[in-house]
Amino acid sequence: MKILELNFQACRGENMERQKTYIEDIDREIYDIKDEFTYRYKSDQGLSKDIILEISKEKDEPKWMTDFRLKSLEIYNSIPLPTWGADLSGLDMDNIRTYIRPDTEMEHSWDNVPDYIKDTFERLGLPQAERESLAGVGAQYDSEVVYHNIRQELVDQGVVYMDIETALGEYEDIMKEYFMKLIPPEDHKFAALHGAVWSGGSFVYVPEGTDVDIPLQSYFRLNAPGAGQFEHTLIIVEKGAKLHFIEGCSAPQYKVNNLHAGCVELFVKEDASLRYSTIENWSRNMYNLNSKRALVEKNGTIEWISGSFGSKVSMLYPMSILKGEGARSEFTGITFASTGQYLDTGAKVLHAAPHTTSTVNSKSISKNGGHAFYRGLIKVLPEAYGSKSTVDCESLILDNESISDALPIIDLRNDDIDIGHEAKVGRISEEAIFYLMSRGIGEEEAKAMIVRGFVEPITKELPLEYAVELNNLINIELEGSIG
Amino acid sequence: MINWNRIELKGYRLPTAIEYHEEYVDYEELPMGVELTNINKVENKLIAERVNDDITGVDKNITSYVMDNYNSGIGLYIPEDIRIDEPIRLNFNMDDESPMVIDNNIVISSPNSRSTLVVDYYSNGDTRAFHSGVTKVYAMENAVVNIIKIQRMNDHSYKFDSNIAHIERGAVVNWISIEIGSIISGSNYTSILKDEASEGNLYSIYLGDGDRRMDLEYTMIHKGRRSISNIETKGVLMDNSVKVFRGNLDFKRGARLSKGMEQESVVLLDPTVKSHSIPALMCDEDDVQGEHAASAGQVDRDQLLYLMSRGLDFNEAKRLIIRASFRSVLERIPMEELRGLIYDEIDRRIINGQAGY
Repeated sequence: MKILELNFQACRGENMERQKTYIEDIDREIYDIKDEFTYRYKSDQGLSKDIILEISKEKDEPKWMTDFRLKSLEIYNSIPLPTWGADLSGLDMDNIRTYIRPDTEMEHSWDNVPDYIKDTFERLGLPQAERESLAGVGAQYDSEVVYHNIRQELVDQGVVYMDIETALGEYEDIMKEYFMKLIPPEDHKFAALHGAVWSGGSFVYVPEGTDVDIPLQSYFRLNAPGAGQFEHTLIIVEKGAKLHFIEGCSAPQYKVNNLHAGCVELFVKEDASLRYSTIENWSRNMYNLNSKRALVEKNGTIEWISGSFGSKVSMLYPMSILKGEGARSEFTGITFASTGQYLDTGAKVLHAAPHTTSTVNSKSISKNGGHAFYRGLIKVLPEAYGSKSTVDCESLILDNESISDALPIIDLRNDDIDIGHEAKVGRISEEAIFYLMSRGIGEEEAKAMIVRGFVEPITKELPLEYAVELNNLINIELEGSIG
Repeated sequence: MINWNRIELKGYRLPTAIEYHEEYVDYEELPMGVELTNINKVENKLIAERVNDDITGVDKNITSYVMDNYNSGIGLYIPEDIRIDEPIRLNFNMDDESPMVIDNNIVISSPNSRSTLVVDYYSNGDTRAFHSGVTKVYAMENAVVNIIKIQRMNDHSYKFDSNIAHIERGAVVNWISIEIGSIISGSNYTSILKDEASEGNLYSIYLGDGDRRMDLEYTMIHKGRRSISNIETKGVLMDNSVKVFRGNLDFKRGARLSKGMEQESVVLLDPTVKSHSIPALMCDEDDVQGEHAASAGQVDRDQLLYLMSRGLDFNEAKRLIIRASFRSVLERIPMEELRGLIYDEIDRRIINGQAGY
């Protein structure tokens, strides 16, 4: 049925005006609408002890958190910038404002959210998605969460979904036990930065045996120019529980550079399963240096679905630590690099227990001078006997100005394993185009069909009916403008 | 000081160079015009001007050490249209008298010529031998050059070998690398596919046993249109061996219609081995096909079971499967006697190893 539809669309396209062969950039219009830069409080630019003390005071935090921030700052100052990967010389921390409190309180009803902020999220379709297909929504605007809500029936089941600042007050013990334990500030420079200036984000707790069958979504919007967003997401899925969590991010385009250094820590307990979907669509002045990690216990499952479309520079490598016997990890990612973008993405998996399995499936497209880089790691420890891993990376280069690289590292310390890896790079096959054309499909349409086919294994994994902007991305970008 | 983190070579100092006295060049008769000389006595201008060409190879410090200290090596010049059917052989035997080979080899293959060079590095007994060398190949239009390098040094020996080929229009360079010895082994094979239809192939096998640590790097740089490259590596790791495989396919802008394939498969025989694979695929050009594949696992149990059901004992069956996995590469060596030597050495090492399975 779907194929018929595509064919129909293709034929119709043939009779209409000739369209360009290349795939258009994402229509960024709805993301690019800027609100006036208003705030209740903003920190000075740059990074210093005083600024951090100010942020902590503004947030009225317990002392251990203030100390944690200061310790992270010390670590940040002691670690040099990474020498591999992206060129970060354009990132000047002295010009980044790390904390901006929007001029509103945290609300549980959209009616109480100021109109200009509400309008922004309306344009992104968040309230509508909440009404139709989400069990809970969190919305962050600049440095603070402005809206958080969860359906009553989930609350009754004991599910907690709230902004992380509130969680720090209400669940201080849990926060102490888990906060930045999986990604400690020592991990890398931008984890340390996050530890020092983190603000906003979501906390999710799913109690034992609870199946949250409708997804939760947090949306992070950075409106201010020259600012940083450092939200922290902490999710704990207890024994036998299930959750699907969706993360969305966007920002309007500015001439100055913005920075995103969030941190996502996921704890998947015995027999639990978590699907974590991200549709990242930052503007092209954004340095996206995000850290994500999941710790998976016995027979637990983590599924990553990761779409990287925006930003100027991305360095993002979600990591799964398979700690318990039989733990599983699945990573499905798509990266789309266009003009001026350097997107360095990939997946890391650490097999640390027997009979653990992982699959990595990555697709990247580069066009109009974009540079897509797949960088991954599979590491199998001596105790992880009977483990299996499959890594598959495919890259499509749509013109000869664009660049695509792949560097999948495999590190094995055990013989009782089964590891397979494949990578391919190239452009659209002439033979496939020729075949489609011999079946009566125009050249442009044939190319478009092949690109759709290329990303289809990924798009079918994406929760199209839920994800707020993915409909826009896939439809506008991959179907509309090349059809 | 040499520091290679992945194979845990820390603070290694290159030894003070001493002379190598053995005879190592072995050939019967060379066609008219072919010049084969000791690297210190080259008169051929084309060779002479390349003697000191510096390359990066395994490590900049090591290759410049070779350039400063080489004690052996050949300059080989093959004129246009000349075919040398019989392989030219270099046998570097290291013993307590002459434990050190630092060779600087240059091969200049004129248009339409053909040749095969076989280099065998061997150290016997308990000699603490050292080999470090640089081999440079210049393959001009439509020339075919085969270089076969066999490293079967003893388990006390260190080895660092760098190889580079400049491959012109329509020329082919085939490297065959057999790595079955030494305690520390660093190898680099780089092929620069400079012009239209340049072709570079690398076939290699490695065997890790005992405490061997290997860092093997194979690089194909595609610059010319329609250039072709192929890397095929088969390995076996046992005991406490450590291996790092680095395969690089690098398509430069302008290398339109080029194809590059890279494949590594490794059989792991003991839980104590360490196997790192770092296959890199870099692509600055859209109209190319690049592919790499890697696989790792144990000996196929079905195959073992089948052979044992035919009356072979467990070790015999395992040995046969390993021999078979090396076969596709070893069959490319044109001398039966040499193949036999290699098979014997592999058998000896696998049977001596006998680690529990």
